[in-house]
Amino acid sequence: MRSSAVTAPRLRSTGLLSGWGRGLGALPEDAGTAAAGRAVVSAGRPVLGGDRFRRVTRECLLGVAAVEEALQEPGVPRALLAGSRTALLYATASAYGAANRAFIEGTGSTTLHFPYTAPSAVPAEVAIEFGITGPYAIFLGGAPAALSALWYAATLLASSACDRALVLAVETFDECADLYARGRWLVGRPLVEAAACALLEPGTGALSYSEQRGRRPAGPAATGIERRLGEAFACTPLVELGVARAAGTAPLDVRLRGVWRGSEAVLRWVEM
Amino acid sequence: MAEADRIAIRTAGVVTPIGQDLDAFWSALVTGASGISRIERFRVDDLRVARGGEIKKLVRERPDELSTDCRASRLLIAAADELVAHVGGRPLAPDSRRVALVLGTALGGVEEGERALSGKRRPSRLARALYDSPTRALGQWLGAEGPLLTISTACASGATALGLAADLLRNGAADVAVAGGYDVLCRFVMKGFDALRSLTRDEVRPFDRRRSGLLLGEGAGLVLMERERDAAARGGKPLGYLLGHAGASDGFHISAPDPNGRGLETSIRGAMSQAGISPDEIEFVSAHGTGTPLNDKIEAAVLKRVLGRRAYAVPVNSIKAHTGHTMGAAATLEAIMCLLAWRHGQIPHTLNLEQPDPDCDLDFVATGPRPARPRISLSTSLGFGGCNAALVLEGA
Repeated sequence: MRSSAVTAPRLRSTGLLSGWGRGLGALPEDAGTAAAGRAVVSAGRPVLGGDRFRRVTRECLLGVAAVEEALQEPGVPRALLAGSRTALLYATASAYGAANRAFIEGTGSTTLHFPYTAPSAVPAEVAIEFGITGPYAIFLGGAPAALSALWYAATLLASSACDRALVLAVETFDECADLYARGRWLVGRPLVEAAACALLEPGTGALSYSEQRGRRPAGPAATGIERRLGEAFACTPLVELGVARAAGTAPLDVRLRGVWRGSEAVLRWVEM
Repeated sequence: MAEADRIAIRTAGVVTPIGQDLDAFWSALVTGASGISRIERFRVDDLRVARGGEIKKLVRERPDELSTDCRASRLLIAAADELVAHVGGRPLAPDSRRVALVLGTALGGVEEGERALSGKRRPSRLARALYDSPTRALGQWLGAEGPLLTISTACASGATALGLAADLLRNGAADVAVAGGYDVLCRFVMKGFDALRSLTRDEVRPFDRRRSGLLLGEGAGLVLMERERDAAARGGKPLGYLLGHAGASDGFHISAPDPNGRGLETSIRGAMSQAGISPDEIEFVSAHGTGTPLNDKIEAAVLKRVLGRRAYAVPVNSIKAHTGHTMGAAATLEAIMCLLAWRHGQIPHTLNLEQPDPDCDLDFVATGPRPARPRISLSTSLGFGGCNAALVLEGA
């Protein structure tokens, strides 16, 4: 598979909120065992301060909370994100499902609810909360969508279109658990709700990205991170990045692979 | 930008309420045809507004090749059928793994979800409701085995998709890219916009002082893109070039645009910077121009800031009164219109703009098409969630 090559960014911080709890430390050794038969491991509804969040959907709150987690790292002040020099790239396969279903079945408050059916609702709430007004794109799909978002972040940073890039993924399943149960052959188990993000800055390493469809994906069905995290679609590569960074391999040298509906994407990231 | 990095738009394919190929689309634009009619395909009798840009019958449908009854996929395949016909058929490149597909959509396959949840389709077909399902259907039809990206920056999706495809080509992730946008009219979106009171009972009147809202439409627009050096080596004249693109968030409101238009301004300046052109070089602006009171006023103000002293000398239009707001397809259709304007030497007029708004006092093309040959065009787009995007295009 031929790759696209671009200068690799530097990974400044990561944030994670999942059905297992806050941060990477909450991840179990084996998601299947820890799920104890649950098909969906819910991340619940984060409680965030401010009246603005009263009507906001759960997936939006998870996105905001994940970014708050990334800001817990030393030297990453909230003000750093504000303004037009921060890019926001968002990936999801599922996080619009609950709002779409609620609107279709008439369980949402019609007027207020409709804008939240758009996949753009989650990054919109994040952009509003943190004052992000820079480059913006939203990728739909599983893990390859997150790898595309990481590639695009690297492209924007390499071309000086921004000074930092926030790559965010959110996946929710609880409200549609019965629908996923009908298509259980499509997805892994357990389904683990998550919101994960990575804050990137310009770097000097090398990043390559490729995606290919139509061939049987090579390699094992579940990677190490999937065994620990469970099925979290677009969040998985961002969690894997966080795990690699936490493992202390500096500079970072990771190969991230994502498979989704017959496509396989690979992103190799070597920091200098 | 280095000459080698220029991205050529080789050809295009369209399906719209006013025409289902490039010639018909162009002819309808310059003759002022309207694709707005009462919606017939699904129930609308309980809605305030029951009209839109509905495609009554797909002209280019080829049942023998279709394995889907998903309307979004069918619109895409019909547009792709025109596109591939312009280049002598499939495959689009010797190595299918070097063909990328980048599609923008605001709604994806949501109509399939609507049907499945209401019992009109088997629940097992819910997978088709995933927003990336129509991309996968078209990818299969095209035989594209490279990157398959589904973008959803709401009603700016069709512009974001073209920009990302250009970046995939520049970075060597693909040699050929089919890019564009689509969306279908369905009860889901009509009910949503109807509840928001965004739809007008009048005509769509972009930039007119009587404007009172938008009407939705459906369609698909696709372009075939490649690096200019590859196009030159192959020979033949492209439709044009994508010189620059940029997108930015408003960070302001979940559905309303920033009244100061900061995200749109950032996008336009970013696209011009990437294109390496100054405001003085813009010869035509295809505005988002939905016909809502706020959108049009914001756009006019932003164009004045960005174009400076040239703002009153640059022709501006909106084609949303022709087609309705085709959401994910809109920006791609408008980009194609910009390149056709260069090719045909005419700028289509803004339908139903009869009484100019003093707040929107730019050089809007109204009452009839204007003879002009705009080589460099700017196309602007806005969407829910504070999504903004801009494209700078050059006719070939």
